[in-house]
Amino acid sequence: MTEMPLPFAAVLFPGGVFALVLGLCLKGLDRRIAARLQRRVGPPLAQPFFDLIKLARKDSLVPKAAPRLLFLTLPLAGTSTAALAVALLPIGGVYAPPAALGDLLVLLYLLAVPAITLMLAGSASASPFGAIGFSREMAMVLAYEGPLLMVIAAVAVFVGRAEGQTVTFSLTEIVAWQQAHGPLIGEPALWPALLAYLAFYPANLGMVPFDIPEAEPEVLDGPLLEYSGPALGLFELMSATKAVVVLGLGIALFCPLAPADPATALVIHLLKYAVLTALGVSVVRTAMGRMRIDQAFRFFLKGPLWLALASLLLVLGRMG
Amino acid sequence: MTATDRPLTTLPLGPLHVALEEPMYFRIQVDGETVAGVEVTAGHAHRGIEYLATKRNLHQNLVLTERVCSLCSNSHPLTYCMALERIAGAPPPPRAEALRAVADEIKRIASHLFNVAILAHLVGFESLFMHVMQTREIMQDVKETIFGNRMDLGANCIGGVRFDLDAEGAAYLGVQLDRVAVDVAQIRELYASDRSIGSRTRGIGILPYGDAVALGVVGPVARASGIPFDVRAKAPYGAYSRLEVPVVSREECDVWARAMVRLDEVRVSIDILRQCLARLPQGSLAVSPLPLVPAGEAVTRSEAPRGELIYYLRTDGSERPERLKWRVPSYMNWAALEVMLKGAAVADIPMIVNSVDPCLSCTER
Repeated sequence: MTEMPLPFAAVLFPGGVFALVLGLCLKGLDRRIAARLQRRVGPPLAQPFFDLIKLARKDSLVPKAAPRLLFLTLPLAGTSTAALAVALLPIGGVYAPPAALGDLLVLLYLLAVPAITLMLAGSASASPFGAIGFSREMAMVLAYEGPLLMVIAAVAVFVGRAEGQTVTFSLTEIVAWQQAHGPLIGEPALWPALLAYLAFYPANLGMVPFDIPEAEPEVLDGPLLEYSGPALGLFELMSATKAVVVLGLGIALFCPLAPADPATALVIHLLKYAVLTALGVSVVRTAMGRMRIDQAFRFFLKGPLWLALASLLLVLGRMG
Repeated sequence: MTATDRPLTTLPLGPLHVALEEPMYFRIQVDGETVAGVEVTAGHAHRGIEYLATKRNLHQNLVLTERVCSLCSNSHPLTYCMALERIAGAPPPPRAEALRAVADEIKRIASHLFNVAILAHLVGFESLFMHVMQTREIMQDVKETIFGNRMDLGANCIGGVRFDLDAEGAAYLGVQLDRVAVDVAQIRELYASDRSIGSRTRGIGILPYGDAVALGVVGPVARASGIPFDVRAKAPYGAYSRLEVPVVSREECDVWARAMVRLDEVRVSIDILRQCLARLPQGSLAVSPLPLVPAGEAVTRSEAPRGELIYYLRTDGSERPERLKWRVPSYMNWAALEVMLKGAAVADIPMIVNSVDPCLSCTER
């Protein structure tokens, strides 16, 4: 992996403006595609930016019963963590994070923080709807974290063994190995893990059919019910940035290939984001309704968990 | 620890809530995600319309009753006119009766499709919501073309109707009905087979036959619990005595069954409209001259989209009614919510409330 050329470094400053803008653009893209699929015109691509500007100009109200400091710190913590996590993601052919920042395990922890801030936010907002949102968010995290862990373990073991070690948790190494030996998306032993990942990311992003913690007709946005103004805007930013992390993780794990030219590599990288958003978010959420929390929990226990486990066992068995 | 000695959380659903189209307050006691008790508080949409009706003359009340609520806005003036005509002893001419059925069925199709669309929205299936609403839009266009309005048709007058269908209008309506029929067949298939609709609506909000009888529920809620009661068939009024009205009923007693009954009734309504168009009697549109309304009283009933609507009217020979009172279907149906909601999951509350299609502005007027 090469040093980043200066012009890119300015825009791409990992985890910074780039991730926020990309996240919001993906959100705009998703809303537009979903609208077209429903025979609507849909909002302009820049609508998420307009929404954010509007929120930034409003006041953040804090419920009387809510602990003020915690209530207002949570969105900040969530957004900054998500932005930090982006810095750990390599972009094939463009950017390799310094090893000092951390590896896949650190990324896993960082990825859990936004969900935890949402839970705390629901609980701190002192609203019964927030409390229900809290319990649902927790159930969702329990449901999808297991499969995610095993997906990551399967890839880490696969690449680690191929390189002669036991396991590697360095995303940079995983990406570099794929640059040399072809993408893991072509590896049959990892196909179940890929499927599990495809089920995981709409759940992590809180999209239909897994938007259960924030289901508007049921719990009125759940944890976000009492948030307004810039604080709500930060949560919007957090979810946009989280999308960049979660999709970026999938790209890095399964298909990070890119040409040597950084400009083309970046364009291809962005295209991958767009495709993942269109197929995994927009199409899925327009093609079905919301699950109930017990149904979603059972779905993850029955489907993705076993798929990810199967991949892990296949990898261990075949190469052990 | 059993469920009973755990502290219950109170979930304030309403008076303003996204899942409710109108203001109503459900004080719901929840144990985790399960409903332990429901307390319904109504009265947020009370406008004193019954009192107002005694302060206006008989003709003005036609306009007033049409504005009691939007989705059954044709059923109210229709039933009111039927009461007046009974007191005056002046039944409308056959053509007017057939045209009244046309107006009523058009409103019924739009109302049922609206309710079924909202169900998809509550399930989180936005595409299906859009699809059903687009089909409903055809009926909205029909209303605008034939009556000049998208919600309040202004179709009825004392002794007849205020609109006519010429050959061109009838042909237009026929074409639009064909379009709706194709769409509705697809939509029905979707609701019958789609997994995400099925998994969220089947087996929830159960209202067993016995409870349905005891609570006296009416309309699609009753028919989805195995009670084949439809005023149009049981006590035909106006043109319905000359039309074929099959009664749709199902045995599943759940939210899904109520949606399916409504979708099947849309097909029945389309069929009734086609019968009307095929056999539209010739003649005048209203009794002329208008009869004097003597002192007297009358009770009339009709099948509104939500069920049996009853009007009581007492006149004293003056231009104002002495008393005008009505009982709307939602009044009977929302009492059934307590049975349906008991033991339900919090996630299912919106679907269950929507399945009785409560019309609060009718009920509280």
